[in-house]
Amino acid sequence: MNGVRLPKRKKLSTNKNIYVYNKPKIVYIPLISSNDENITILVKKDDYVFKGSVVGRRKGNYKMPIHSSVSGRVMGFEEHTYLHGEKVKCVVIENDFKEKMENRVTPRTAINKFTKEEFVEKLLNHGVIGQGGGGFPTYAKFNSDKKITTLIINAVECEPYITADFMLFKEKCEEILEAIDAIVEINNIDEAIIATKKSNYTLNKLLMNFLGTYLKIKLLNVPNLYPMGWERALIKEVTGVEYDKLPIEKGIVVINSSTAHSIYEALKLDKPVIERVVTFTGEMLKEPQNVLVKVGTPVSEVIESIGGYKRNKEIVFVAGGPMMGTALPTDDLVVSPNMNCILVLKEIKTVTRTECLRCGKCVKVCPVKLSPVLIRDSLNNIDDLDSYNADRCIECGLCSYICPAKINIRQAVKIGKKKLSERG
Amino acid sequence: MKEFNSPIGPYLKYKNSSAKMQINLLIALFPIIIFAFYKNGIIPYLHGTTSFMGMFYPLLFIITPAIACVVAEVIYAKLFLKEEYKTTKDFLKASHGYIPGIFLGLILPINTPISIVILGAFIASIIGKMLFGGFGNNIFNPALVGALFILTAYSLVITNNGGYLNSYELDTIAGATPLTNASNMIEVGSYETLVEPYGNLWDFFLGTIPGAVGETSSLLCLLGFIFLTITRTIKWKISVVYVLTVFVMSSFVGNLNGLGTWFSLFHIFSGGLMFGAVFMATDPVTSPTTPVGQVLYGLFLGILTVLLRFLTPYPEGVLTSILTMNMLIFIIDKIGAKARFTFQSAVMPFLVVWAFVAVVGAMIGNKYQNVDLNPDVDPHYYIVNQTEVLDKVTYVVTQKGYSGAIKGEIVIEKGKVLSMVILEINDDFYPNIESANYIDKLLNEQDSLESVDTISGTTYTSSGLKKMLINTLKDYEVNYGE
Repeated sequence: MNGVRLPKRKKLSTNKNIYVYNKPKIVYIPLISSNDENITILVKKDDYVFKGSVVGRRKGNYKMPIHSSVSGRVMGFEEHTYLHGEKVKCVVIENDFKEKMENRVTPRTAINKFTKEEFVEKLLNHGVIGQGGGGFPTYAKFNSDKKITTLIINAVECEPYITADFMLFKEKCEEILEAIDAIVEINNIDEAIIATKKSNYTLNKLLMNFLGTYLKIKLLNVPNLYPMGWERALIKEVTGVEYDKLPIEKGIVVINSSTAHSIYEALKLDKPVIERVVTFTGEMLKEPQNVLVKVGTPVSEVIESIGGYKRNKEIVFVAGGPMMGTALPTDDLVVSPNMNCILVLKEIKTVTRTECLRCGKCVKVCPVKLSPVLIRDSLNNIDDLDSYNADRCIECGLCSYICPAKINIRQAVKIGKKKLSERG
Repeated sequence: MKEFNSPIGPYLKYKNSSAKMQINLLIALFPIIIFAFYKNGIIPYLHGTTSFMGMFYPLLFIITPAIACVVAEVIYAKLFLKEEYKTTKDFLKASHGYIPGIFLGLILPINTPISIVILGAFIASIIGKMLFGGFGNNIFNPALVGALFILTAYSLVITNNGGYLNSYELDTIAGATPLTNASNMIEVGSYETLVEPYGNLWDFFLGTIPGAVGETSSLLCLLGFIFLTITRTIKWKISVVYVLTVFVMSSFVGNLNGLGTWFSLFHIFSGGLMFGAVFMATDPVTSPTTPVGQVLYGLFLGILTVLLRFLTPYPEGVLTSILTMNMLIFIIDKIGAKARFTFQSAVMPFLVVWAFVAVVGAMIGNKYQNVDLNPDVDPHYYIVNQTEVLDKVTYVVTQKGYSGAIKGEIVIEKGKVLSMVILEINDDFYPNIESANYIDKLLNEQDSLESVDTISGTTYTSSGLKKMLINTLKDYEVNYGE
């Protein structure tokens, strides 16, 4: 695969253990699932909801539920900024701090005794989604008649700064391994491969201690390249297999390591995805660290509780990682299950943008083998865009990263991609 | 709730920049400029063929067009681009106007009058670059546009001034550049005629041979290439494929004529090929962006250069090839972009190109094969036509002269040369020969021609005329002698 070794910047947020922030006074549960805002709302103002109650359900093919992360009274509906930068309707719930659940279950001793149907149902009912950022419903990956031969646990986390997966894996290693073992047994999978970066010594050393106990789980190191964590690239690297649309065609399923932890909680405790670890990092935060937060918590509140910003102006507030993330005009952002990072950086004012040199570096670096410079040239010619396959762009941002003229070339490709999808 | 500016991501940027790439280019050019100074300034000064001030002329020759290019761009920008660039400083920073100027100084013959060089620099900047929309938008390599203009419009002025030879070489070599020399020959040539007049292949590699100001040293071009490739400044595929293609194709010609590897090396070390391949063909703006496109581009450049060198009377094929291929970048890149997804779409172009390399190589090789390589026969002498009327034999013959062949008509009767008339000659010093009545002198002393002195200043032409007469008499002896 084409890839680039990016500066890591991960040490910023790995010094402290995961900090738990579970006392938001009010939560704003975003009514959106996998960027789909077609949600049936199941609560109304002044309803009392339990922690884990379903407040909305996605329409369409994937009937993913959306859960309340606290117990309390529904105050109404408001619009707040979501991960992708646009406002989304949210259920506003006042936390009564009682953490009441509708039916609390005692932890199960064995989580590998479920049938495949029960397993899929649990993933669906507990709203397990891909926590790497995509937010794709996880149950759908397993809900297939095709035999799964290989399960790949994606612990690569190739984007700089982000350490949420790593920190969770480090602290909950046994739980994650137990979940992987259960998934393997329930789905009758031949082998599970945990993919980590070669350079992630801490995690590799830690996993070596445990792996002897699980015969079907293997550890595999992948090169420290971006975007190695991209599903297609990872499968190619780990198994050498290429596929057309979905990896299940070749009997492969990839899940994120944090998603594996959500599966653990769903199976063991019947706990839906109502909280997650988010990396709060960047040079302009006083104390960068990973925080376990409830879904719906305002990000500004969390930042205040961990020490706040270093300065109040000339900073850039990014939802997501440095490559794929989006800078937001405000910090009015609420935590969603697929948010993995909040990045606060210095604002660089003096970017000298020059004319395109046509040096071809963006072409060389593209992991999907696009020719970004040519796509940028032919934005007005839809046929050319089609022949250049602009729709294949995964928006990894390497073309913009490498460009010596500092052109936002990904933006141009994104426009081309949009034009193609509008044409259909 | 706080408010922020929200620039577009990604929020990490690679440390490289356009300005740094141009600086790398300058670093790679620095030894070449110094060598140009050494070869065209210091050496002639040490041998007393130029004055102390004249020693610095090569540096002036490179710096002047660089300044002229910047001035031309500023004037253009002030007149036509008032709104786009707020300050001249910003414009200069983004435009890198001096680069084509430096290149222009390096690829021109040293004897180009400096006023013409300045004119060429203006043409390069205005027509080659600014009219297309400035840096990043030009289709043709600006420096080559300027050079092409000068070399076509003012070739006579330059030749009269001494052509490609600097003052020291004019004294010692008396001739033309190796490629001009090669193209003047009717057959393919030999080591003695191609390489030895200029020393040996090391001289070709090091660059102590006649040629444009800064493009003779293959060694320094190679070092520059390594530096630029390590710093990821140039598209190295183009240079490698270009030079390799020329090497392979000239090997075809060489092998079919029983010549050794030196022949291929001669071709890649002369005519500024290395300089063109490393610095001119890889100009980022005017070369393909896709990897497959770059390979195709290099192949086409190589083929065109070889074609121009062997099949046309214009030996300096590098410049023309690059400018020609500049026009086709758009198509080459389209093929290159498709080939990234399905390599099959590039297979056809590649097959066609490779077939071309083989066929054309063999064709050129065969063209020379029929020439009789009898060592007794002067390879520079050729009988165009001969007619016998009664006892009078009229020969129309050619003999290599100073630049190109001299064509003459010689009438012989009973072993005695009656007249010798020059039909075609390309030497601006020919009047010297006429005023010295050299031909009459030859006719008068036709029985002891070997002892006739040549005329200094027009050594090549006068000795050519002498040889023409000797060769014709030899032929007459064989065919009509008693």
